[in-house]
Amino acid sequence: MPRLWRLTPIIALAIALILLVAGMGLAFYIDRSNENRTTAEVTVQARILASTVTAALVFNDHDAAQEYVSAMQANPEVQQAAVYDSAGRLFAGWSRDGQSPLPATEHPHAPRLDHGHLIVSSPVAQENLMIGTVYLESVTEALGRRIQRYGAIALLVIMAVLLVGVLWIAQRALTRANVALADRARQLAAANESLLAEIEQREQIEAALRQAQKMEAIGQLTGGVAHDFNNLLQVILGNLERLQRRFRDSDLGADASRLIASAARGAERAAILTQRLLAFSRRQPLAPKPLEINKLVAGLSDLIGRTLGESVQLQTVLAGGLWRALADANQLESALLNLAVNARDAMPSGGKLTIETANAHLDEAYARTESDEVKAGQYVLIQVTDTGTGMGPDVLAKVFEPFFTTKDIGQGTGLGLSQVYGFAKQSGGHVKIYSEVGVGTTVKLYLPRATVIDSPLRDHSDDGQVPGGNSREMILVVEDQDDVRAFTSETLRDLGYSVSEAADGPAALHTLEHESRIRLLFTDIGLPGGINGRQLADQARRRYPELLVLFTTGYARNAIVHHGRLDPGVELIGKPFTQTELALRIREIFDRAVGANWAPG
Amino acid sequence: MASITASLSRTAGWVVIVVWFIVRIGAVRAEGSQLELAVKATYLYKLAPFVEWPNPAAEFPGNVFPICIAGRDPFGAVLDRAVSGQSVAGHPIVVRRYQVITGNPGCAVVYITGSDTEPAAVILAALHAAPVLTVTDQDFDPKVKGIINFVVRDNRVRFQIDEATAAEDGLTISSKLLSLAVSVRQRPPSATAPR
Repeated sequence: MPRLWRLTPIIALAIALILLVAGMGLAFYIDRSNENRTTAEVTVQARILASTVTAALVFNDHDAAQEYVSAMQANPEVQQAAVYDSAGRLFAGWSRDGQSPLPATEHPHAPRLDHGHLIVSSPVAQENLMIGTVYLESVTEALGRRIQRYGAIALLVIMAVLLVGVLWIAQRALTRANVALADRARQLAAANESLLAEIEQREQIEAALRQAQKMEAIGQLTGGVAHDFNNLLQVILGNLERLQRRFRDSDLGADASRLIASAARGAERAAILTQRLLAFSRRQPLAPKPLEINKLVAGLSDLIGRTLGESVQLQTVLAGGLWRALADANQLESALLNLAVNARDAMPSGGKLTIETANAHLDEAYARTESDEVKAGQYVLIQVTDTGTGMGPDVLAKVFEPFFTTKDIGQGTGLGLSQVYGFAKQSGGHVKIYSEVGVGTTVKLYLPRATVIDSPLRDHSDDGQVPGGNSREMILVVEDQDDVRAFTSETLRDLGYSVSEAADGPAALHTLEHESRIRLLFTDIGLPGGINGRQLADQARRRYPELLVLFTTGYARNAIVHHGRLDPGVELIGKPFTQTELALRIREIFDRAVGANWAPG
Repeated sequence: MASITASLSRTAGWVVIVVWFIVRIGAVRAEGSQLELAVKATYLYKLAPFVEWPNPAAEFPGNVFPICIAGRDPFGAVLDRAVSGQSVAGHPIVVRRYQVITGNPGCAVVYITGSDTEPAAVILAALHAAPVLTVTDQDFDPKVKGIINFVVRDNRVRFQIDEATAAEDGLTISSKLLSLAVSVRQRPPSATAPR
């Protein structure tokens, strides 16, 4: 059928040609038949004339014969008419203007054409006796009639050809429409295919999302547990610390001191564990601080080693003279753990994981070539290299996308590398991944160099010398957990500060109203009684603008944390904190406030 | 005397001239008559194809076409020569001459000249109602007119036709012939009306 469609123009052309030929043939045929008809007509007229002039011929009546012959002038097609006697001599006749003269003699002969004129010579007979000849010359057809006829035929042929042409054009349009339709069908098929692919992709993403939601739920759970744990550890650690101070001053002996120290170490390990849990649950606020990367990596290697399992060997190459990097320690730990987990999964049959640190300088040229926004400058590089299966370029291109994973459902969230990427970006750093199938993968994590010199003095070396306060510096401790509140208050009193206590927000506001000496509000973020720590601080600050605020939390909710970073001007100390940490932090806040007050003066 | 002889001779001269002229004119007249007769003789049989007789087979027995002359015969051998070898509808033409006619003797065409014993009018009357083409000649008796009546016009022999009498006699005359006639006495309208 399509073959026939394609042949249609040729068929149409052939039909048009056939019509033309048929039209010409018809014209020719009509012409011929018309000629025959004219011949017959003229012959009949000649015979009629012959029969009418018999008497005139017989009786030699020229006048009568001339009369009869002249009657033929009524027929405009007749050009000449004449009667000849039996000897062939002209008897009577006439000729129209412009015609050649009549032949002098004439005898009967068959009709003939002469210059488009039909000449008929018919015998005049009487009693089977030839008594003369009638001569008629006629035009075969009047020009007008001929034009009329040919015009009609030409019109018909033109109409037919036009019709064929219109049909052809219509067919062409139809063919084009068909092609367009086929294109549309193809497009629809392609669209359908892409839709199916999209549906499949969406299903994958939904699966990944479910996985992520599961992880989120687990994170919340672990976060909650860690929070409670932190509160408990706060009490344990705090009291152990106080005990140690007391025993150091007394002479109960090194034995007890050693036992306490051991218990404190255990508690600290437990605290670290809860930190990891919080890091996992990503409830740790992002608080960039100058970090000793080498120290952090060394501290983490134990955990990473356990994560990797026994078949993977861990090697750390830590550069000397490494700058400090400005980043959130917890997030960095998470990132490193994520990288370690990925590396482990890339090395199912074992291998080697190398973590290197180095100072790095990214120049303008490098920054320009990167599609990501990279600032040229000094960075601290953490390079994690595995000897795993590696990735192809297509996988590599998508590896930082959230929810992208090559792992089976349930094996990974697809958030690991995206967390690394997000963390790097959030920290003002840069991440670059190199991979080769069958060789391994290298992830280079660039963290910005810490330019602010953070006083190393504040880094609490455990020398037992902690800065204290005086009784004029009154602190309001707001904490719903009695043990924690009691410990905190005790600690602060030990440090020499005046302390007032409240269990929730309303009580705290009430206390603030009646105790004008309070200079610092130290509040837990999670509080019962309808007002959380943040709201309490806001209300209090509206009334007492000069009031200092320090938050504490087992984990941070959105109350003070937005986009994983602390709001500017918000001071936070995470639980569990030691007496030393608390002392340093409070002293710092007081001193900064005094400095700020004095500065304008 | 001389003058007498001279005048006589002059008179004689005139007489000779006049006589010569008379003789000459007579000769011319005789020549004209001879041509006229020849034409009329051919006309007698040439008329036949344009005339329809009611029953030719019964009227003309012996498979001939008889042309008769009633009265004085002006043709003589001229007519016999003219018709020799001629035929009408396949019938050879024969010429019969009658001095007296009392009814139709079986002629197809009768050329009526009349004689002293039987004038043309009598002959014509005798042939009335018979299916005979009566032909008269103005030269002989201008008053008597048959169905065909020869006249001379412009020095040519023409004829008058009495179609009415022809119809009465049961003859039909072709319109072709009628068209050549000098004058036609037409059939009464009732007779022409188709039945």
